[in-house]
Amino acid sequence: MTKGDQFRELIEAYALGALDPEERASLEAHLAEGCAECAKALEEACWLVSQLAFLAPDAEPSDMLRGRLIQTVRAEARAGKSAKASSTIPFWMWGAVAALLIFTIYQSWETARIRIAIEQASKQADLEAAKRAKLEEQFAIAQREAIILTDPRSVKIPMGTGDKEMPKLEAMWHAKLGIVVSGQSVPMPSGNHTLQLWLIQKAKDGKPIPSMTLRPGADGKFMLLVANPPNSMEATKALAITEEPAGGSPQPTTKPIWLGAIS
Amino acid sequence: MFLALLASLGFGPDSREVSPDTALMQNLLRRDVNSFEQLYDRHSRTVYALVLRILQQAATAEEVVQDVFLQLWRNAAAYDAERGPFVPWLLTLARNRALDNLRLKSERQRRREDQTEQLPPVSSAPEYERELDERRRVEKVRSLMGGLLPQQKRAIELAYFEGLSHSEIADKLKEPLGTVKSWIRNGLLRLKEGLQTAS
Repeated sequence: MTKGDQFRELIEAYALGALDPEERASLEAHLAEGCAECAKALEEACWLVSQLAFLAPDAEPSDMLRGRLIQTVRAEARAGKSAKASSTIPFWMWGAVAALLIFTIYQSWETARIRIAIEQASKQADLEAAKRAKLEEQFAIAQREAIILTDPRSVKIPMGTGDKEMPKLEAMWHAKLGIVVSGQSVPMPSGNHTLQLWLIQKAKDGKPIPSMTLRPGADGKFMLLVANPPNSMEATKALAITEEPAGGSPQPTTKPIWLGAIS
Repeated sequence: MFLALLASLGFGPDSREVSPDTALMQNLLRRDVNSFEQLYDRHSRTVYALVLRILQQAATAEEVVQDVFLQLWRNAAAYDAERGPFVPWLLTLARNRALDNLRLKSERQRRREDQTEQLPPVSSAPEYERELDERRRVEKVRSLMGGLLPQQKRAIELAYFEGLSHSEIADKLKEPLGTVKSWIRNGLLRLKEGLQTAS
């Protein structure tokens, strides 16, 4: 008896499902090795075993079972069709998608354009605001200068010069609003030099207190406002203006061009 | 009536050709509900009778029959007509499902779970299967089985309808294991020879 013959004796019982676990495992291992004869025998045995179904007494399922099944199957068939239909995108929908895409691109471009315009307008507004603030500041200065110059409480301080070529300047000191120094036809300092105001203290050995610097305008006009003088009028005996390097100096580096005593 | 029912079972001489069942199964792949209805009407009684014989409970049997036919509907591609006739495949599927259900309540489930989780194996119908008139075959199956020793027939039925193994049958019938093995093998061979003779 060959190994194949030995296993073929188990084939019918295997098809019937009657083999005990050990025999079943050994036959399955043999089939897995590729025995064509046993595989063929198993196919026939399966058919043979299936014939045993006709030993069952005749019986008929209920109509309700048929109804349930057909209902389920019809529902699944409809669901399958609707799923298939919904997966097919009609031509008009592609058109709508394309239109939506174009609109979205246009919207993006328009949004970017508006954003740039807003940024430009915002910058312009900032510039205008800066201009306005500057004008308001200039107006406040001019208004303050005007009050200092016209207020009878202001003290007039003529500022003479030893240079006959130089015009005389005049300072007006208001105790609360500050000092205004003004003049006409003031020559431009050489190079980058500037004119600097000094407050000469009454105290002995008092050092000159540095104050504002200013270059006259191209037309020779000179108008310097010192809103917060570094020394009080009572403690100051004179005002002086020297020519100093650009930015001013902590101590005078030249002799005063103009000098005005406070009486 | 009975003969007409048998004629509808797909065991006729031409069952290996493109049978009505094969055509209907192919239609299921296209989700044809009418073909499903025809398949059900052709085979539901045979399937139900088998499942009821195994489970012995009508309600449970109907649940299993419903599962079997829904599996046909949902997985029609699982049947390969090139490898065997439809009806033996369907009956094997139904038997496996019914035995699975039976084993859910039994320790015996563990013993055969691998086998029963799979789709039915291919059952290649021999030549005589095509030549035997289906009416005569069913009568012959019953006649041949009726001609076996009562204990021998009982052993085969315990294996087929209750899914018992050789050892379990021997315990139940209180017969030696070798005797049971011989009964079953000889009984099946006698059935096979009888069907061949009938052709």
